[in-house]
Amino acid sequence: MPLKVIVSGMGIVSSLGYELDTFWKNLVEGKSGVKQITLFDASSCATRIAAEVPREFDEFSRTLVKKRASGQMTRVTRMCLVAAKQAVSLSGLDFEQEDKTRCAVIMGVVNTGNSSVEKDTSLQNTVFKSMTNSMPAWISLEYQLQGPNFAINTACASSAYAISMGMQMIRNGNADIVIAGGADSIINPEEINGFNALYALSVANDTPEAASRPFTSKRDGFVIGEGAGVVILESEEHALRRNAMIYGELAGSALTSEGYNIMAPMKDGEGMSATMEKAIKDAGIEKDDVDYINAHGTSTELNDRYETLAIKRVFGEKAYQIPVSSSKSMIGHTIGAAGAIEGIITLLSLRNGILTPTINYTDPDPDLDLDYVPNKCRPKEIRVALSNSFGFGGHNATLVFRKYHGKV
Amino acid sequence: MAKITENTRNEVRETVFSFFAEECEADKSQIKDATNIIKDLDGDSLMFLELIEIFKKKFNLDIELKTIGKYAVKHPVETIGQLIEMQLLIIEHENRLLELDK
Repeated sequence: MPLKVIVSGMGIVSSLGYELDTFWKNLVEGKSGVKQITLFDASSCATRIAAEVPREFDEFSRTLVKKRASGQMTRVTRMCLVAAKQAVSLSGLDFEQEDKTRCAVIMGVVNTGNSSVEKDTSLQNTVFKSMTNSMPAWISLEYQLQGPNFAINTACASSAYAISMGMQMIRNGNADIVIAGGADSIINPEEINGFNALYALSVANDTPEAASRPFTSKRDGFVIGEGAGVVILESEEHALRRNAMIYGELAGSALTSEGYNIMAPMKDGEGMSATMEKAIKDAGIEKDDVDYINAHGTSTELNDRYETLAIKRVFGEKAYQIPVSSSKSMIGHTIGAAGAIEGIITLLSLRNGILTPTINYTDPDPDLDLDYVPNKCRPKEIRVALSNSFGFGGHNATLVFRKYHGKV
Repeated sequence: MAKITENTRNEVRETVFSFFAEECEADKSQIKDATNIIKDLDGDSLMFLELIEIFKKKFNLDIELKTIGKYAVKHPVETIGQLIEMQLLIIEHENRLLELDK
């Protein structure tokens, strides 16, 4: 019997806040973090909107990250460390009381954000800012952890992969505690022009807050977001021994690869459905147990169509009774951080009994006919929830969270 | 070979103390010769290199990093006082630093 893995801490940095309570309140109110880009002059870009982390974060991060170290990090790496420190703080962990060789760090990192918009890069900090292992490295340095410590890059599924790998490490008895998650920002001219060339981004520049509109007939591409999400994973036994608060159980996961196309998902969502099936099996649950799906829901033509088809393939008629919502309608697509941030939203939904909405759901696509929790949050008791992440290159991940019925 | 005057010594001390106070967000008056750079100030090895660059420019020094590296292996620096003494030796002997060990 594998060890039961629980979540004992969470930390967030996003366009809708960098403290968990504020973030959750904004999600429940259906706010959008999407605005005109301010990080650089985007006037020559086809897309000029994004969900940026508020400028006040820089000041806030100074209270948690030392000046010297901060100068050796990109803004995105700082987001990661701040989210990790908030997660550790919430968990009540004192690493001096732990066997540090059994404390691991796994971060989903697509890039560190050392782009043309990054400020104050000197020759001496260029390497530190660019190292894709820098995010897990800074976290382990902060707490002098000595267990496995690495980064995973599977595009938009990166931090979901990190959380899944952390779960497996605990299940296998290779770690007691895993700090897992990720951070990302691709709000820079190079990436925006590149994604525009792929026709992947929304160009609804005049209505930024309404630009990310998953599952509607007016969806025209994703909106870039940025941020960080970090969770503390522990075995249930370890958490109970130290009398920790438990926010939910990570009951299972699946990691798959489509082997199909560098950009497009497999036709009709075949890869997506296979991933959800595998995750449900891994969690040892019945399909009838699933009360909510936090969708990948990018607001692109193909993803939303195929994800809907995939959910129908997995759940059959029951798919129409399962609420499915896209957090990206509010916070944009946070790329490497998406799996962790949306995993945290899923956990908060389970814990608080509230489904966060898909905002901007004003023009339904007649082909996409599930319950997308349109525009307003909704109370619902959730037993089990899935969180989907699908990345360019065919990297798929589904995390399965279950309400914890012990000490909460 | 440069002669180390009292003025040079004071200038090096002031530069080192100010550098660590600024970079490590420490109270300058609390930094002493015996202060451990890593344990007490949470400093890092890169700071040593940054200081060398500062002194290279300030004193127009002819010194290669590999020379300092070889010397530092035999004479490890842990405290502020040790670091100041090594910077003074570098200013005084430049690329002939290794001859001190002969």
